[in-house]
Amino acid sequence: MSDLTLNVMLGLVVAWPLLLAIPALHSRLPRPCYLALLPAAILLVLPGEASLAPSWVLFEAGLAINGESRWLLAMCVSVWVVAATATTPPQRDVARDHHTLFFLLTLAGNLGAVLAADLVSFFCATTLMGYGFFGMLMQSGDAAARRAGCIYLICLIIADLLLFEALLLAAFAAHDLQFSTLPQVMAGTAAAPTYWWIVCAGFMLKAGIWPVHLWLCASYRSAPQPAALLLGGVPVAMGLLGLVRWLPLGDVAIATLGTLFQILGVVAILYSVARFFTCKDLTLRLAWIIVAATGMFIMVLGTGLAYPDVWQPYSFLIYPFIAAFGVLASAMSVVIRRIDDRRQSTGVVSAQTDDFILRIMRSMDRMRESMTGKLSRLASAWHTVALNGIAGLRGMCQCQYLLLVAEKQLQRWPVAMTWFVLLATTVALLAFAY
Amino acid sequence: MNWNTWIPLFVVASSLLPGLIIFGLAEDRVRLRVGLNLVGALAKLGLVSWMLLGVYQGEHFEMRLAFLPGLELVLRAGPLSLIFVSLSTVLWLVTTVYAIGYLEGSPHRSRFFGFFSLCVTATVGVALSGNLITFLLFYELLTLSTYPLVVHRGTEEARRAGHVYLVYTVLGGALLLLATVWLYTLTGTLEFTPRGFVHGLEDTHRSALLIIFVLLIAGFGVKAALVPLHGWLPLAMVAPAPVSALLHAVAVVKAGAFGIVRVVYDVFGVESATALGVTGPLAWLAAVTIIYGSLRALFQDDLKRRLAYSTISQVAYITLGVAIAGPLAAIGGVVHLVHQGMMKITLFFCAGNLAETLGIHKISEMNGVGRRMPWTMAAFTVAAFGMIGAPPIAGFVSKWYLGLGALEAGQGWVIFVLAGSSVLNASYFLPILHRAWFREPPDVWPHGHNAGHGISEDLSGKISVNISGDVGGKETTWALLLPPVITALIALAAGVLAAAPFSPLEWAQLIAQREFYQP
Repeated sequence: MSDLTLNVMLGLVVAWPLLLAIPALHSRLPRPCYLALLPAAILLVLPGEASLAPSWVLFEAGLAINGESRWLLAMCVSVWVVAATATTPPQRDVARDHHTLFFLLTLAGNLGAVLAADLVSFFCATTLMGYGFFGMLMQSGDAAARRAGCIYLICLIIADLLLFEALLLAAFAAHDLQFSTLPQVMAGTAAAPTYWWIVCAGFMLKAGIWPVHLWLCASYRSAPQPAALLLGGVPVAMGLLGLVRWLPLGDVAIATLGTLFQILGVVAILYSVARFFTCKDLTLRLAWIIVAATGMFIMVLGTGLAYPDVWQPYSFLIYPFIAAFGVLASAMSVVIRRIDDRRQSTGVVSAQTDDFILRIMRSMDRMRESMTGKLSRLASAWHTVALNGIAGLRGMCQCQYLLLVAEKQLQRWPVAMTWFVLLATTVALLAFAY
Repeated sequence: MNWNTWIPLFVVASSLLPGLIIFGLAEDRVRLRVGLNLVGALAKLGLVSWMLLGVYQGEHFEMRLAFLPGLELVLRAGPLSLIFVSLSTVLWLVTTVYAIGYLEGSPHRSRFFGFFSLCVTATVGVALSGNLITFLLFYELLTLSTYPLVVHRGTEEARRAGHVYLVYTVLGGALLLLATVWLYTLTGTLEFTPRGFVHGLEDTHRSALLIIFVLLIAGFGVKAALVPLHGWLPLAMVAPAPVSALLHAVAVVKAGAFGIVRVVYDVFGVESATALGVTGPLAWLAAVTIIYGSLRALFQDDLKRRLAYSTISQVAYITLGVAIAGPLAAIGGVVHLVHQGMMKITLFFCAGNLAETLGIHKISEMNGVGRRMPWTMAAFTVAAFGMIGAPPIAGFVSKWYLGLGALEAGQGWVIFVLAGSSVLNASYFLPILHRAWFREPPDVWPHGHNAGHGISEDLSGKISVNISGDVGGKETTWALLLPPVITALIALAAGVLAAAPFSPLEWAQLIAQREFYQP
């Protein structure tokens, strides 16, 4: 297959869904959600490797397809096809347009992140994906969705800020932002430790890894289809992918971070297993499964960071693992949604049902009832602390009255000038002293 | 004199002459007025493109006219001039189209467009000035030509805003005049020079130069709305939307910020300014302005006031970039001059559309407006995300270079200012977008248009049909809709295609290279 074909397809994979996101276009086309996936599906079956980094694009950001990203592309295509199939578009034109718009924006971001060849393009793609996904979360428009959306948005902004700082550090220290070379180059710089920590914090937030998993649980509780189906395969999987790509796995030993990850992973698994057995809600149980899986992931990642030699022979497994994680998370979401629907439609499930999954669920319910509510009490104590914090922040809004008074004073020229002269005098004095 | 000598003068005249003719036109000569405005704007665009190409190829464009003994009026096109001239020219064209639509049927249009053209003439003059005296003359002309625009509505509130604006800017101009005269007595020249014309005097006239610097920054700081000299800007929001766009994106605040760039680069020079120890305090002043403006924006319910405080914050990025005194930060500061203009003008156009079409002035009235005016709000969304610094929109590029510049200059605290500002920007822009896109619209908009869901559904489904120019139940007129959509696309393109030839980033790199690397 010629390089040109591959390069064109690489560009189209991201550009085509973005183009289709324009309401005037997708409202005129049949099944735009499937159409948007067409270039990605074609690229998946085309053999060969290629990269595309036009010199006139922002910081020469580029896309690439290789053996590793092919796994992830396959995961994306399958997850998004299922999402498009499992979702019934809203009847109202406005809601349907919004649904398609956010669906396509998130899709474009997701595909861009998978194919990103450098930090900048990954950052751009995940940001687009994040805001698109926020739109999908908010689709139902009820109070729970608004709350979940709000928590997700706050986490997203903080994570993006952290990653932006990491990007700046990398650009300043290493100049070359390609995934293939950055970790090694970065390792030898003074800014490396700060970079590692910021990257970890940013992507832990993005992936909803314990203990910053708040948005994940809130989203699972309220997300409409297809957001619920995509939660594991899109924001969480891309967060995990970010950790793999931005950190020097197998190259440099970062013992402290590695150990911390291992401890966090173990605690996350134990905590989420306990929470799994203590919660009634099926969808929330899925959230705890995801938290446990991400805990397991960072435990493995921690091992890779602490012991690069141990990591190297098995490093090729990480991309299939993320791909499998995304597919399984989506599959479980579909199954649980169907069980939930059946429960709701039939009322209390009869004892004679031969549904295997439902029997498992009932036995889990019994286990939950037998467990003490200690963890629940801990969780409620944590929520109380968090709510008090929010109340404190609201108190800060009282400052606006002070600012308003000061502002009115400053609108008088003599007062403004007096302040400026005072400021200038201080500056001059400082300059003289210096 | 060759052709290149005259071009800077033609660029200034291309808006001055139509403006002077428009003053004499009767109110009902709509076509002639529109024609003159558009011909002037297009002629200016052509001339500026010619100069851009010429400067890129190393040609020299300079016009000198005798003014006072020992002083000349100088118009010169260099990379720094052209980045500002190009911004003003492109945005003047779109603002003219917007203003034609916005003021359709309203009184005193000849007066408005006359002063509008004068304002752009002054801005272009400020940009092309080759020395401080020329700069000062055009700067004062800008003050005088924008005052009638601020008070255009003639209400008590407008007159009060105009009065405050005039007092601030005239006093600021007086400080500038004082500093200019003092500088001339010290140096015997006012010619803008790469690396500054006071270079070498910092040891012998340290005290005088310090005071002159403070006077110049105070003078330019008024228009650049540096805290605590920003009081006039939120009040000036009473002006019509095209004037607000002009004040915030094209002319006034930009002229102030550009003045600060000139003072640091071409009057003092980075080396002298650093040696005098004035860049550090200037950076802190800019940082305070960035955070203060954002904090104040957070509490405003009036959309234009929120945007005004946002301008105070965003324009200070330019000052910050210059004050960090390093090549990468300089790129960030200078490129933000253009990027902020594109994004902020989009926001003001959208605010004008909302006010003009639906009577929406407050953020609390914006519930569900994205369904009623999807294209306007899509443009608003792009610009708002750009302001936050989301990639790959133009604002991201500015913040990138400012952050890198801060690291390069060893001023890590700037990173925290940028991060804090981004959080605050998100805090005051995202709630607007949330209301517009995710809340249910009211039954009746403030102007009394029926907001029934049928219209919204119809609009989103068949957008190109419904926004065909008929305002009855449609989004708005083409003249109001196209400018924000175009400027939003430009803001997006400036980010995505940042590395393309002739992009604002490339010009900013050229300017930084001249200031920091050339011998």
